[in-house]
Amino acid sequence: MKACLGVDVGSVTTKLALLDESDELVSHVYLLTQGRPIDAVQQGLRDIRKQLPQDVDINGVATTGSARYLAGVIVGADLVKNEITTHAVAALHYYPDVQTIIEIGGQDSKLTVVRDGIVIDFAMNTVCAAGTGSFLDHQALRLDMSIQELSQRALTSQTPVRIAGRCTVFAESDMVHKQQMGYRVEDILYGLCQALVRNYLGNVGLGKELEPPIIFQGGVAFNQAIVRAFREELDTEVIVPIHHEVMGAIGAALMAHEEMATNNGISQFKGFEQSEVKYHASSFECKACPNRCEVAEISQDGQTLARWGGRCDMWERVSSTQLYSSEEIK
Amino acid sequence: MGNLYVPCRAVLEQLGVDYVIPPVNSQRTLSLGSRYSPEGLCIPFKMTLGNMIEAAELGANTLLVPGGYGICRLGYYTRVQEQILHNLGYDIEIIQLGVSERKFLGMMDIIKRVSNDSPWRRILSAFRFGLSKLNAVDQIERIVQKVRPVELIPGTANQLYTRAVQAIDNADDYDTLKRVKADYLGQLKHVAINEQARPLIVGVTGEFYVVLEPFSSFDIERELGKLGVEVRRATFISGWTKFSLFLNPFGINEKSRIHKAAYPYLKRDIGGDGWESVGEKVLHAKEYDGLIHLAPFTCMPEIIAENIMPSTKEQMPVLTILCDEQIAKAGVLTRLEAFVDLLERKRRKQNDQLRVTV
Repeated sequence: MKACLGVDVGSVTTKLALLDESDELVSHVYLLTQGRPIDAVQQGLRDIRKQLPQDVDINGVATTGSARYLAGVIVGADLVKNEITTHAVAALHYYPDVQTIIEIGGQDSKLTVVRDGIVIDFAMNTVCAAGTGSFLDHQALRLDMSIQELSQRALTSQTPVRIAGRCTVFAESDMVHKQQMGYRVEDILYGLCQALVRNYLGNVGLGKELEPPIIFQGGVAFNQAIVRAFREELDTEVIVPIHHEVMGAIGAALMAHEEMATNNGISQFKGFEQSEVKYHASSFECKACPNRCEVAEISQDGQTLARWGGRCDMWERVSSTQLYSSEEIK
Repeated sequence: MGNLYVPCRAVLEQLGVDYVIPPVNSQRTLSLGSRYSPEGLCIPFKMTLGNMIEAAELGANTLLVPGGYGICRLGYYTRVQEQILHNLGYDIEIIQLGVSERKFLGMMDIIKRVSNDSPWRRILSAFRFGLSKLNAVDQIERIVQKVRPVELIPGTANQLYTRAVQAIDNADDYDTLKRVKADYLGQLKHVAINEQARPLIVGVTGEFYVVLEPFSSFDIERELGKLGVEVRRATFISGWTKFSLFLNPFGINEKSRIHKAAYPYLKRDIGGDGWESVGEKVLHAKEYDGLIHLAPFTCMPEIIAENIMPSTKEQMPVLTILCDEQIAKAGVLTRLEAFVDLLERKRRKQNDQLRVTV
């Protein structure tokens, strides 16, 4: 079986999706990144390998998400794409007439505006993480409940309490205040969901036209209470795709397929055995100029595979070590 | 700011003024500037304050600051910066080089004073030489913008550019300058490029300082070049100097075309470069594939421009990027990549439709 693999390494979770030649989803994996993207990718490769038949032949692989470059080096990506594009490609694949894509992940939230099958505008949260998965996780932890339980209990709310949602810090102190005043936990939780939706629409969605059909994807779409709050606030249907949590990986796989088909290339995929290789990630401060960039590098058996993080392109070519005496500059 | 030091050095050298050029902008400049600036001020203020401190550390006692007295708070910047420097214990005077409320005569006084009372003939010839250097640098930069996206070996144009600026800076007379310029223009012409490539064309506009100082705006032009995009920019220092130092005092303004374009949506100067940002979108909507609008965080004029731009009749995708010391480059790059993807897919779709109609 010929297939394309998409790898989406986000701040909180890592997703892998495998599509067959007719772009049908064969299998997918969803696991926590836990701050160790290399381990997460390797674990993901092991997990997805178990679900596949022996004769699978990887024809193309693409990476996306905030660790896309790192993941690209590990798996041998044919294509490295940003998460805004991959999410839009996946949404358009399943819903060709989609006009608005809401995507909320672990630490970022995005809005993509589509007209006639083309992305015409997008926005991403800038400095604030209010309204993203991490904040909900944190609040669930503080109330000693799982994130699933938070969602279920919020749905039972009858009279939601208004929570200040402009900033996570203020939202939290407002929630504590409302708890101390004796409001029901359900109502506070749903109030929080509403506040996050308002915050999203007021910041990321500011000045954008949100026309239906609206797709809601990303990990936070698991949360039924947030979905309900979106429906109420927008007063329209909000569609949550079945595989909403792996849409980024699916989009990456679709793009890998497209890329390989147009270029007729041979995949750089390093094989599932990569999950057993030991990688070493490290960083150093470059002292070549006053910028003092922190350059990250990833190596395997003492050999550097890639570097990034500098302001100039001095370190981006791996062979730079030959040009500059690295001991001097490190 | 950008390559402005090249002509300034030339002028001061010719006039025999004892000068220091502060080190190029670095993280240290920004950190120094931010530490002593009020939090809410914009990145041009913080960067220039950092430059001033670094210059003072090198022993400067007078600072020349080219710049006008605009409508936004920028007009007060040098006065505030002077106060901050005094509070830090530096005995330093700031001279603002630009058109003051006394118009042309005021500027003449300043120039005469800075040049240690040199005769006018000498001053004029020094300025002429400085301007030739400036024009040479800008001319080379325009070519680099075109070569960057299509070069076969990435980084070639950037390397040539860095070397060219250095060589122009070192040139002592017109002959050397001319030779150096021709040499680098020739080298740039012979860079191996992909002849078939039809790069996307993206305009860069916004607030003057962040547009011209790559450090403050995440080296956006280089990053776009890496993504295979040709950058067009209307703002060059040479153009600005020509007008704001020499022709504006006589009421001649090169921007009237841009202002006229913006007029249906914004009827007056709102300070900074907000009026120009709107005008550029309107003027170039047909010519560019997209526009990148650079705005310093908390910059009032550019925020107004950002909000006017979506409503213009002339349609073109615009990406506004806020420049601030707190914003991480990774986020900016993700947005840039997505923006370029958007433009590419749009063009591909338009081409497909054309083929169908044919």
